[in-house]
Amino acid sequence: MTCDLNPGRSVLHRLDPRLKLLAVTAWSLLAALSRTGPAALFALAGALAFAGLGRLAPGPTAKRLSAVNFFLVFIWLFLPFSVPGEPGPALGGLSATKPGLELALLLTVKVNAAALGALAFFGTSSVTQLAAAARRLGAPEKLTAVFLLTLRYFHVLSLEYARLRQALKVRAFRPGLNLHTLRTYANLVGILLVRGVDRAERVHAAMLCRGYTGRFWFHDHFRFTGLDWLGAVLLAILLSGGAALNAF
Amino acid sequence: MPSETLISLRDLTFAYPGGPPVLKGLNLDFRAGETLGLSGANGAGKSTLLFLIMGLAKPQGGTVEIFGRPRRTERDFQEVRPSLGFVFQDANDQLFCPTVADDLAFGPLNLGLEHEEIHRRVAEALDMLGLAGFERRVTYDLSGGEKKLVAIGAALTLHPRLLILDEPTAALDPGTVSRLEDILAASGLPALIVSHDQDFLARVATRRLTMADGFLF
Amino acid sequence: MHISEGVLSGPILAGGAILALGGLARGLRELRADDLPRAALLAAVFFTASLIHVSMGFFSAHLLLNGLLGLLLGWAAFPVIFIGLLLQGVLLQYGGLTVLGVNTFNMAGPAAAFGLAGRAALARFGWRAAPAVSLLAGGGTILFSGVLTALSLGLSGQEFAAAAAALGLAHLPVAAIEALVTLFAVQFLRQVRPGLLGRTGDVRP
Repeated sequence: MTCDLNPGRSVLHRLDPRLKLLAVTAWSLLAALSRTGPAALFALAGALAFAGLGRLAPGPTAKRLSAVNFFLVFIWLFLPFSVPGEPGPALGGLSATKPGLELALLLTVKVNAAALGALAFFGTSSVTQLAAAARRLGAPEKLTAVFLLTLRYFHVLSLEYARLRQALKVRAFRPGLNLHTLRTYANLVGILLVRGVDRAERVHAAMLCRGYTGRFWFHDHFRFTGLDWLGAVLLAILLSGGAALNAF
Repeated sequence: MPSETLISLRDLTFAYPGGPPVLKGLNLDFRAGETLGLSGANGAGKSTLLFLIMGLAKPQGGTVEIFGRPRRTERDFQEVRPSLGFVFQDANDQLFCPTVADDLAFGPLNLGLEHEEIHRRVAEALDMLGLAGFERRVTYDLSGGEKKLVAIGAALTLHPRLLILDEPTAALDPGTVSRLEDILAASGLPALIVSHDQDFLARVATRRLTMADGFLF
Repeated sequence: MHISEGVLSGPILAGGAILALGGLARGLRELRADDLPRAALLAAVFFTASLIHVSMGFFSAHLLLNGLLGLLLGWAAFPVIFIGLLLQGVLLQYGGLTVLGVNTFNMAGPAAAFGLAGRAALARFGWRAAPAVSLLAGGGTILFSGVLTALSLGLSGQEFAAAAAALGLAHLPVAAIEALVTLFAVQFLRQVRPGLLGRTGDVRP
């Protein structure tokens, strides 16, 4: 199971997962720590470029972005009105301020720059490869092992959960604003937990039978190619440029 | 005296996304009073057919008529599911409440029935299942056969007009199969049964069809 | 509720990361080699639960289960919640690496605290304390997470004060739902697998 998120042959797909991991971390930091408009826009432009390089499908990408933007609704509801400064247009009966609007806009750009970068780099990778890359870059062995096991269990759980939802339908369950609904969802969680723990115990027993002593090994064939070196250099240039724009 | 048609399927076609056609224009009439046995090879589409009847999947073409009215939307199916008494092949897919009494009460609770009525139905079901004293037993820890009986009970407490059973005898010992047959008979309900078990169907079915190549014969 | 990437200030991100790292280290120490499959399972349940939409009429949210995780895991709630959040970031491609520390601490800190206290209470008072423990752990965890989330936002800048307050308040209905769900979930576990809440034998009948 490689868990390829969006299989393809774009430039990003061909990059070493270690580079992508470093890239997404660095770009997220750049986006998150941008203080000025130009810096934030640069981060967004870069993210768009990465998305293009990764040949991300516009439809699903937009959908995922809209989920991330959900948090921004909060920001837009309050920031334009709570930042003191030069008054701006009146929105919905309340008077917004220019600094407030600018800040909300800045945050919007930053949030989307970070999210789009993540979409580009994660979206063109396989989750298991990323885990192996993290291990190579120094992530603790225990943590990485649990991460991969979690991934495997999630696949099984989501199937089980889908079947339970069918059972709910078949047994005439209709969710509503009542305790019965909450108890039902709690029971679903409970049964998933109990079944899952029993299964985890069987997995553990099977692992013991195959000589498990607490150590995990991760396979990877990572090798930095010319493309990776080029990517690394470009990334370094872009990052410095982006950081420098914070002066403006 | 003609028997009422409970379920009527016309020209049903279905394929899973990206897969080959499973049903190719299937027709079926299921009438009150009968116990209809459906057999067929693995992958012939028997479970799929049941899912279409329950509205758990949407056909690409054809109509599903239940109790004399075509059913298309989720709303339509929500209306009839309590009356269709569906029992999954794997009891574990169906049961998720802590105790047997809880699982038996779940359906009636969803129907918004009164406490006394729910209590009555649970006691009635336990009696019919031969599981007196099982109220407080933990469903998850029961044996496979006991779970299957509880699953059937969970369908029965909805007071359905018919039963739909997907491979009811799978993984059951002969003793439990025999109890199952007794329960079916005692319930007096018409039943649509998908099964590999030819001997079982020979004993319980009043009519038998085979599913092959996307059609029923 | 976790915060999107790109909003919080640098110092808050760093502070959160350090606190989370501390919790992670402590939590990983709790996980012996034998505990890894179960920890992974719980992380998977946590992640799956975040995809469960609890629709109750007009109001819809997704399950968090932080309180329950705390009761089941104690300090190990840190690595488990961390992995759940990381999985959300990678598998669902939401990203959020820079805020991972803050979000982990905000969610796992209260979970571990209430969880440890809850387990101690159960060990001391037995199962009759279970309803109170579950309500407090389920609701309290979310309330404190709300406070920490509001603080994270508020401390990132004066301009966020109003938004932070609103964000904190938004956790109230969620806390109520989580308290109840945790109550029922613990009831379920008590009947079906009581040994899960504490090493077997800890909780007096």
